[in-house]
Amino acid sequence: MTNLWQERLRRHQLDQFKYLRLIFNDNFVLAFIVLIGALGFWYSNLLGTIHHQLILGKPIVILLLFLATQVGGIATLLEEPDSTFLLVKEKEFYKYFKAAKNYSVFIPIVTLALVNFLLSAFASRAAGMKIIDIVLIAIGLIVFKLGSLNINLMALYGQDHFGSLNMRLVSNILLIVSLISSTYFLSAIMVIVGVIYYLFLNMRVRPLETSGQLQWKYAIETENQRMFRIKRFYNLFTDVPGVNSKIKRRKWLDGLFNFIKPKSSNTYLYLFARGFVRNNEYIGLFLRLTIIQAIMLCLIDNFYISLIVEMLFIYLVGFQLKPYFKEVMQNLMQRLYPISSKDKIASFTKLSTIILSIQWIVSALAIIYKFGLSMNGLIIIVAGALVLVFVNYFYMPRQLRKYLN
Amino acid sequence: MTLEVKELTGGYGQVSVLKKETFNVEGGQVVGLIGLNGAGKSTTIKHIIGLLTPRGGQILIDGISLHDDVEKYRKKIAYVPEMPILYPELTLREHIDLTIMAYGLDHDKTWTNATKLLKTFRLDNKLDWFPQNFSKGMKQKVMIVCAFMTDASLFIIDEPFTGLDPLAVNDLLNIVEAKKKAGCSVLMSTHILATVQNHADKFVLINHGQVRADGTLDQLKAKFNMQQDSNLDDIYIKMSHEDL
Repeated sequence: MTNLWQERLRRHQLDQFKYLRLIFNDNFVLAFIVLIGALGFWYSNLLGTIHHQLILGKPIVILLLFLATQVGGIATLLEEPDSTFLLVKEKEFYKYFKAAKNYSVFIPIVTLALVNFLLSAFASRAAGMKIIDIVLIAIGLIVFKLGSLNINLMALYGQDHFGSLNMRLVSNILLIVSLISSTYFLSAIMVIVGVIYYLFLNMRVRPLETSGQLQWKYAIETENQRMFRIKRFYNLFTDVPGVNSKIKRRKWLDGLFNFIKPKSSNTYLYLFARGFVRNNEYIGLFLRLTIIQAIMLCLIDNFYISLIVEMLFIYLVGFQLKPYFKEVMQNLMQRLYPISSKDKIASFTKLSTIILSIQWIVSALAIIYKFGLSMNGLIIIVAGALVLVFVNYFYMPRQLRKYLN
Repeated sequence: MTLEVKELTGGYGQVSVLKKETFNVEGGQVVGLIGLNGAGKSTTIKHIIGLLTPRGGQILIDGISLHDDVEKYRKKIAYVPEMPILYPELTLREHIDLTIMAYGLDHDKTWTNATKLLKTFRLDNKLDWFPQNFSKGMKQKVMIVCAFMTDASLFIIDEPFTGLDPLAVNDLLNIVEAKKKAGCSVLMSTHILATVQNHADKFVLINHGQVRADGTLDQLKAKFNMQQDSNLDDIYIKMSHEDL
């Protein structure tokens, strides 16, 4: 069974490397650096403005640490066919999950260490905490998190509750209480609670090996969802096969489509517009990037960084829309339609023009909010418009034509 | 309407699956395309609808090839694939509207046809459903509705009977019969020999990418030296034993 785990893990990691390589090859690195830079810039500016302890300092630290502790669960790497082919091996799966749990500690530890490290500057300045307190709390949280991974394991066996109480809820309440008491009173509390909690849950999980009954459907669904989240993330930057995203009807948006006249040359606009609005993947991508961009533009008052953010994000949305065209083109039936590829490309560029224009208007409002109606603000807005024109009139038609040929 | 397949050679990539196939489908004819798994039925169909380009030979519908006039050629064909292919983001109603737009059909007239077909297949109360809510058989019915509501003159159906309930099979055969009476042609590939034997006028037997024989049931019996009371099943089995 541990061999099976090793084999799965190897394949999983190969997959991850493949995608990570694709991501870091793309224009994304540039955006990433700018984003990190902008956030760092904003954070150090923020720290500069804090000169004495804030009342909200400790609550903010508690909230952020609480959220950071929620990151990460068990990666079981279960696959759909397991519930048929490996059903007979059910008893041995406990060892498999143990191995999975040991592997899954990595992400939570790194996240907690990193968040604590970044937060320490804020914690000492705004919340008046000593370095030793921060370190102790960090250690306590990590031990606590290692303990709580057992709950994920118990959930696979449908045992994640005390009587009728949900274990996750109980442990989150415990976490908040001990975080509050260790930040306000004594930081060692977090370590003590963490260790006791860890030992207690490790003991509770043991009987599952002999008496547990695996909840196959739940376990596989959870893993599928986890995989889907990862792939959706990768999909922001590159094409990931097998990401079938959720479709929502959104009937209230049907009015938007009334502008599309029912004539033959609009066939693809009819299709693209509906798909874009209803497919969570693409509308989600558009909304995420547009909102992040607007927030960044509202916060940053550096002309050059704002200029880059404005241009880059408009380009990114246009760039990320391309896979949607490819996805539709893979449908066999549409290849039989008596419609020229010129019309297909024209329809898609029409859609992308509308989408990018909405994004451009939103970002322009954010810029006016920050820069007012100044020369600098206008330059940024015009630069955004130029990118919009570039994407829709030069970049997009060429790329689509290249794809169709 | 006539479909002429002349010396068709082709396949995927470098491998030629089809070797010099020749057969015809005349107007008002229902033709069964018959062969073992992997014999080349679906490949033949993909060449006719233009998803694959022939490496040699010609395919003509009413004397024109896909190369002569893409739009005119495509408008003459309606196709029901073996596996239903739908747009996950469109409702059933929108699939019909989209097909109307794509083929430049008359909106009201086509909807009258479509409604009749939808009623037949008991889909008329599911117009606002998404494909993900349909069973495999229902998806197949959607494909049939979208194909048969058009004014195409050649209907190509790949394995139409698998996955359909017996009632739907019967309904489909009635629709095929009606199209035939209206002078259209139907080419269907299938393994359900008993059904196709009763409803097709002519059969094309494909083996190893070649047309082994074609003609009416009587002509086939004569070609394979079969007895008078033998049926398509017997002929099929005899053909597949020829390789051994």
